[in-house]
Amino acid sequence: MTRHSEFSKQTLAVLAALCTQPSAWQHGYAIARDTGLKSGTLYPILVRLADRGLMEACWEDEQPTGRPRRHLYRLTPDGLASATAALADVTPTVRAQTRAAFSPRRRLGTEG
Amino acid sequence: MEALTQGMMAALRRMTALMAADRRDWTEAVLAEAAEVPAGWRRLSWLTGGMRLTVREVARAHRLWYPAAFAAVAAGIAWSAWSGPPGDSAIAINRTDVLAIAAILAGLAWAFRQTRGPVAATRWTRLARTGGYAAVLALVLVKSAVERVADAPPNNTLGGPAVAWTGEVVFLVVMAGYAAVILIYTAQRSPVLPATLTIGASAGLVLGVAAYLLGPLGFPLRFTGLWPARLYDVALGFGVLLALCVPVAAGLAAARRADDALPAGSRFRQGAMAGLWSGIAAALVVAVLSTATIAILPYDSGLQHWATGHIGQWIPAVGEVSTVVQPRLGYVAGNSAFAAGYLAVLLIGPLACCAFGAGGASLRHAFAGQRSQ
Repeated sequence: MTRHSEFSKQTLAVLAALCTQPSAWQHGYAIARDTGLKSGTLYPILVRLADRGLMEACWEDEQPTGRPRRHLYRLTPDGLASATAALADVTPTVRAQTRAAFSPRRRLGTEG
Repeated sequence: MEALTQGMMAALRRMTALMAADRRDWTEAVLAEAAEVPAGWRRLSWLTGGMRLTVREVARAHRLWYPAAFAAVAAGIAWSAWSGPPGDSAIAINRTDVLAIAAILAGLAWAFRQTRGPVAATRWTRLARTGGYAAVLALVLVKSAVERVADAPPNNTLGGPAVAWTGEVVFLVVMAGYAAVILIYTAQRSPVLPATLTIGASAGLVLGVAAYLLGPLGFPLRFTGLWPARLYDVALGFGVLLALCVPVAAGLAAARRADDALPAGSRFRQGAMAGLWSGIAAALVVAVLSTATIAILPYDSGLQHWATGHIGQWIPAVGEVSTVVQPRLGYVAGNSAFAAGYLAVLLIGPLACCAFGAGGASLRHAFAGQRSQ
């Protein structure tokens, strides 16, 4: 029997994106491109993950030239454990659906 | 397009001031990332998503969700109730109804917030308050839909405008009582335990749905076949038993849950309050569902046919409306049922259930006394 994850498909897609390089900091637009999620969906997910202590956020230390400083995100150890368990927990079918629904190829509307 | 994008960015920057200090980073993050997004519709769309996030955070910071949702629903009901010719007494009653109910619900919420504090921080308590207010508003909506026809000529032969206005005043007083009970018992300084509320409301929901299924238009149904009639009689008997036992069981369960937490006198009160809540929930559920059924009657020929067949024996009892053509039957029945039936249910139901709940708590006390001897 399929066990239902505590995370939605969209959240699983974000966790999968953050899991690809767990130690690296990623910024919002990169995650949006990776997952195909719009900003109105992505940021509430990031807020929830941070509120639950599964993800940490910080601003870039140095002011880069030509663009504003980025807000960066990565999973906490707890978040990595939860994400790994959740992603392993979903059946291959669900994983395939999640991948198909939010794959970078489907970047019809990354924004908004 | 560029001007629109700049305007959106300026609005977002201004709105960050309204957010809680520890949440501003999120909107600033959206703004910072906007520089990466290709200019044009894509950037505007990105910022629109940021605006949704920001509005949500601002509403959360200022606790605006409930007032905003209440205002939106009340405005929708007012729009629905407002339509019709101004000289019609039914329309005048509906308009008064909507304005008075909105004022009562908003005013009492403000008043009890000062004395009892805001809503308690448990999920079920919030659900009980939201559900209670939603049921009162739904009742106003469906009642206005029924009365738009039932109180208008030629269907208002059962009493005329004077009776309708009297009924309206009683209805408003009863609804104010419901709102007061809902607000007091779901507040932070509530006199009952959250478990009491949950037990009472859950029991009332079951009771209300059962009562509706047994008489969707407020009257016992008529069945022509022998077995359907017998089965219905059995179900009706079971329903009466349920109406007696559910508030008693709720009172007993609430007193049992309160055993460790409260002294004996308070346990008795928890039982009575569980009964009261079961009556309130049941009365609201049955009144809303039944009145909604009556409201859709003239638009659904299948339902009209069913109603004519199953409440047919009731028509002669009303006498003067026995010749009313079928589509009006439901409205006349509905009007009469609402005035004489549902208002009585709304008034008497919670009080009777409160007494039964207290009885249930006494049973618990008696059982506990027997065990300790």
